[in-house]
Amino acid sequence: MKLSEDVAKRLLRSRGLPAPEGATADDPDTAAALAERMGGAAVLKALVLAGRRGKQGLVRVARSPNEARSAAAAMLATEFGGAAVSRLYVEPVVEIADELYLSFAFGDRAPRMVLSRHGGVEIEATFESEPEAVRVVEIDPLRGVKPWDAVEEWRRAGVEGRPLAALGALTARLYDAFVALDATMLELNPVALDRAGKPSLVGVMMEIDDFALDRQGLRSPLGAPVAGNPREAAVETANRSYPGGDSRYSELDGDIGLLVAGGGAGLLQHDLIRSMGGRPANHSDVSPAPGTEKLEAVFDAIFTNPRSRSLLVGYNYLQMARCDFVARALKLSVERNRIDARAFPIVLRLVGPAEAEARAIVAGIPGAEYLPSDASLEDGCRAIVAATERARLAREAAE
Amino acid sequence: MSILIDETTRVVVQGITGNQGRFDTELSLAYGVNIVAGVTPGRGGETVSGVPVFDTVKRAVTETGANAAVLYVPATGVRDAVFEAVEAGCRVLLATTENMPRHDAAQAVAAARAKGAWLVGFNTNGIISPGKCKLGGIGGSDPDAVYPAGRIGVVSRSGGMSAEIAWALKRAGLGVSTAVSMGGDRTTGRSMVEYLALFEADPETDAMIIYGEPGTENEAEVARAVAEGSIRKPVVAMVAGAFQEEYPAGVSFGHVAAMIVGEADTATAKRRLLASAGVEVAASLDEAARMVARATGSIPN
Repeated sequence: MKLSEDVAKRLLRSRGLPAPEGATADDPDTAAALAERMGGAAVLKALVLAGRRGKQGLVRVARSPNEARSAAAAMLATEFGGAAVSRLYVEPVVEIADELYLSFAFGDRAPRMVLSRHGGVEIEATFESEPEAVRVVEIDPLRGVKPWDAVEEWRRAGVEGRPLAALGALTARLYDAFVALDATMLELNPVALDRAGKPSLVGVMMEIDDFALDRQGLRSPLGAPVAGNPREAAVETANRSYPGGDSRYSELDGDIGLLVAGGGAGLLQHDLIRSMGGRPANHSDVSPAPGTEKLEAVFDAIFTNPRSRSLLVGYNYLQMARCDFVARALKLSVERNRIDARAFPIVLRLVGPAEAEARAIVAGIPGAEYLPSDASLEDGCRAIVAATERARLAREAAE
Repeated sequence: MSILIDETTRVVVQGITGNQGRFDTELSLAYGVNIVAGVTPGRGGETVSGVPVFDTVKRAVTETGANAAVLYVPATGVRDAVFEAVEAGCRVLLATTENMPRHDAAQAVAAARAKGAWLVGFNTNGIISPGKCKLGGIGGSDPDAVYPAGRIGVVSRSGGMSAEIAWALKRAGLGVSTAVSMGGDRTTGRSMVEYLALFEADPETDAMIIYGEPGTENEAEVARAVAEGSIRKPVVAMVAGAFQEEYPAGVSFGHVAAMIVGEADTATAKRRLLASAGVEVAASLDEAARMVARATGSIPN
């Protein structure tokens, strides 16, 4: 979950880290009053979940409360990424004599720290123009980052003299915060140094691990907009409403509905269908759950998607789950959505435990094509591409 | 022979009194797996399907000589369960859990590696050396249906694809020395190339099939090892997920991640990299099985 800057800075401050203490404003008068309280001058930042705000005019420095009012009015009239800017973060102006860059994120196996002599600019730009100023450091998660490790890395990036002591200690404590907050990404850009070399965390972006929200006492804001597409939203709603593994469903621009399970086999079947000239109407994945509701939600989404013209139920060889479980969900959804499988082809490649029971259930869906037990994943893809084409020709002939 | 597990493997099941623990334990016992102990704190002294339950892994290891651990533990408890099994001296660990918190995963992997233990997972359905041993639900209630014994090593990022590959091999008249679902999460205990190195050293494995996906450096490392000659046995690769490149990116990576992950991340780039290193790249399961059959001399060119 991405945190907005006010929340990220509050979390860092509560751990004693030097992030400027500001407040939020959602109208120009509040922004002016906050600037007044901060001594007149203030920095205004749009609270949007994106970087590179400076270039969009979404970060402004106001020298007086009046300037803060007009800057806020201008920013609150802005759209960003399709949504109106509705909240600003107002914070005191920090003296900036020098700017550095620091971030923590994950590699495949371990966390990585990236630090750069140059902050306030994009790290890729520095990496391109002056790679020797950028350090990418793999972190041993059992040891963490010690102040002396960080001092050495900042030296190698080109920082010298007095600021090193404070920077070393700050970097180690930021890594501790990265771990303690279950962050998956923490970017400090810039880390500002004043003339005395004292650091301040002026720009903060943080993302918290979705799988650690509970133990962090955080919740994805309920009622937050789920997917804009009503069928994708319905699948998300089913995920929130029922126990067990989640289903995933996202729509594409083709006409073949896919209920493909077992992440890997789903990817392969999607590739194969495209290579055979078919165009999927969606991608999906389902994980084991005690009830059929989440599975039905995906079937319902496919059957109500106006682009879908057919359905492939393509499971990898089932090892633990039962085939009849899938068949039962399919039959429920077919009946609920009044699908006629003679006009809307349904192909099943579904083998493993309780296959006989599954075949008996699917026999009650006229027109559904349940492939034989020795059919491969490729056979399922070939069958759905051919059936979809046949149905298209039949529709055209009827028109 | 086989890799990692065989007839001498003595298994302790952490979380044996839970639903999945019980279920998989019964199926594994039916397959002949030597499950010698279970662990659930506070349930010491009970039995599950005749297997004695202990309060700690240490007690289980001391009493039964267990040397491999299977973890059926909720996501937030997995890190400590790994620490416990590693400290107790287990050499092979299987962690089935998916959706692990990232920091927990990194710490657990580091702890296992530091002690030289081999952690399979996270997000795996198991490892099987047909006819000898299996850890996890792999093969389900009838492992022989898709996993006949043979001389091909399988390393897959997906448990389902491990079964599909083994089944395709079976249709081609071949079998498996060991098949492992190495874990589908970004962070895994061991990397793909480390499994291939074990197969390379196993006198009863003639060739290997790998299944990869977009993301992670696993396939690039394999390509490097093959190009450098540290892997000499034939390797056939499948990498799925090329379709994702045809659509606008649904997930935007943070730019830091993009920079440090590198560009060899897509299925197409991985296929190209593997092919240029001398790995045979298959587009379908049947093609993969044919390539392996040809490489091992099972069918004439």
